Amino acid sequence: MLEVNNLMVFFENALALNGLSLEVREGEIVGLIGSNSAGKTTLMNTVSGLIIDMKIKEMRKGGQRITVYGNIIYDGEDITETAPNQRVKKGIVLSRERHPIFPESSVMENFKIAGYLRSKTEVRETMDFVFTLFPPLVKLKNRKAGFLSGGEQQMLAIGRAMVVRPKLLLLDEPLLGLSPLMQKAVVDAIVNLNRESGITVLLSEQFARPVLPMVDRAYVVENGMLTLSGTGPELMNNPEIKAAYFGV
Amino acid sequence: MFIGTTIYALINTAILALMAIGFNLTFGISGIANFAYGALYVLAAYGVWMMLNLLHLPYLIAVVAAVILNLILGALIYRFVLIRVRGQGISEVIATFGIGLAVLEMFSYFGWVGFEYTLPVLIDRSYIIAGTYVDMQRIIILVFSIFLILGLWFFTHHTSIGLAFRGIAQDERTALTFGIDSDWIATLSISLGAGLAALAALFIIPLGSISPGEGYDVLIKALAVCIIGGLGSTGGVVMASFIVGFAERFTDTYIGSHWTMIVSLAAILIVLIVKPSGLFGKQKELEERI
Ligand SMILES: Nc1ncnc2c1ncn2[C@@H]1O[C@H](COP(=O)(O)OP(=O)(O)O)[C@@H](O)[C@H]1O
Ligand SMILES: [Mg+2]
Repeated sequence: MLEVNNLMVFFENALALNGLSLEVREGEIVGLIGSNSAGKTTLMNTVSGLIIDMKIKEMRKGGQRITVYGNIIYDGEDITETAPNQRVKKGIVLSRERHPIFPESSVMENFKIAGYLRSKTEVRETMDFVFTLFPPLVKLKNRKAGFLSGGEQQMLAIGRAMVVRPKLLLLDEPLLGLSPLMQKAVVDAIVNLNRESGITVLLSEQFARPVLPMVDRAYVVENGMLTLSGTGPELMNNPEIKAAYFGV
Repeated sequence: MFIGTTIYALINTAILALMAIGFNLTFGISGIANFAYGALYVLAAYGVWMMLNLLHLPYLIAVVAAVILNLILGALIYRFVLIRVRGQGISEVIATFGIGLAVLEMFSYFGWVGFEYTLPVLIDRSYIIAGTYVDMQRIIILVFSIFLILGLWFFTHHTSIGLAFRGIAQDERTALTFGIDSDWIATLSISLGAGLAALAALFIIPLGSISPGEGYDVLIKALAVCIIGGLGSTGGVVMASFIVGFAERFTDTYIGSHWTMIVSLAAILIVLIVKPSGLFGKQKELEERI
């Protein structure tokens, strides 16, 4: 479904991704494990196309030069140069790092804004579905999103992405800053989405422990390069992984 | 005298809100302070005047054409000028102010000033309300402003483009992840702001006359209202219009007309000292904007 070939991304002369290649097959949950500044967000932004927008805006104001080499194939089509909103239309949807919800809008309005490409009925249907996935959100429907807790905001962010009806859902550190209990709720929901709705998922995370049990396969990225890859169980038993990514 | 002053203060409030709402909308959505706003206001007024007096077109056609022309002009300003300096506040201000200056000074150069340069009132009638003489045009302005603000509220909360406006205003990059195109929305925001400037001119100019000075005046009033209310906040525009609108009229009646200007300037200074982000400004992070 998604094939990333030899991706290199420069911010000015700093190399954020260094010849990274990976593949996500239809129906899989794939993990991307890497510590801080390993290049996870850069990869997510490059696959979702946000980097094209960043590049154009930096160029217009004479800011930093962003250069992308390599290519991205999605459903057999080269989308390396495709604009982010076109990629959204093709079903690639990113939930950004640190769950940036629209703080001044209510939970319901967050869904409505996310439903830009969808009809009102479709938005309502997805919203009802998301409420079964994350029951705590029901009571918070009319609350300003900025007043939700971190965990609630993360549920909203993932649920909100569902409104777009993704085929490939990119989740950038969906577990960041959540309590273990909340992490479990989010992990369960992601697995549920994958099983029940057949959504393919690529998610990133700093630690291996919470994600390895749920993924079909995972890649480990360090300094913008892949260092390891394998199925969940394979990586679970890998001593290097245990040493570096199991945290405390 | 009190009731009469109150009635005129309400009308003054409506006029101020009408002048500021377009400038505020553009800023609230795309963060662009459109300093060509006053020029767009005057341009629409001269446009209608020319269509009426030189081309002898019917009023309705002239005003619809002027609003559409302003919508297009706003979009062109974004596409050809602002798009290249996006995100650099100072360059945006210089570019739009430059455009505004060029337009206004061109009309000055042609010497298009005088009482003959005005627009017709919509309905030529007047009433005595509670002992106060009020003309129909001012009543229409009051009613229209209320409907316009309610309409804008509905637009930004219940239509897909309006909701996209709110999304872009809050977090542009996240809005992109839902397929919202930020350049398209910014184009629309300036275009709509310019259209609102034209509408304001059509309603307000009949109370006076068209002149380049009017362009600077409208820009300054819009800025004052937005600074007091908190740039980008519709609630702030309404609130600030009330404050300045009432302060001006009551000063005029009870203290003296030469003090009115001082009062609004004092209001700006006080707000800037006490709460630099304006009454409804962003500093209080979770305030509703747009
Ligand atoms: N906008 C940017 N400008 C300059 N350098 C950046 C930018 N974004 C990321 N980087 C650099 O790219 C590398 C990868 O960052 P990132 O993709 O954010 O890592 P991660 O998400 O894994 O923490 C880091 O060295 C970071 O400093
Ligand atoms: Mg990151």
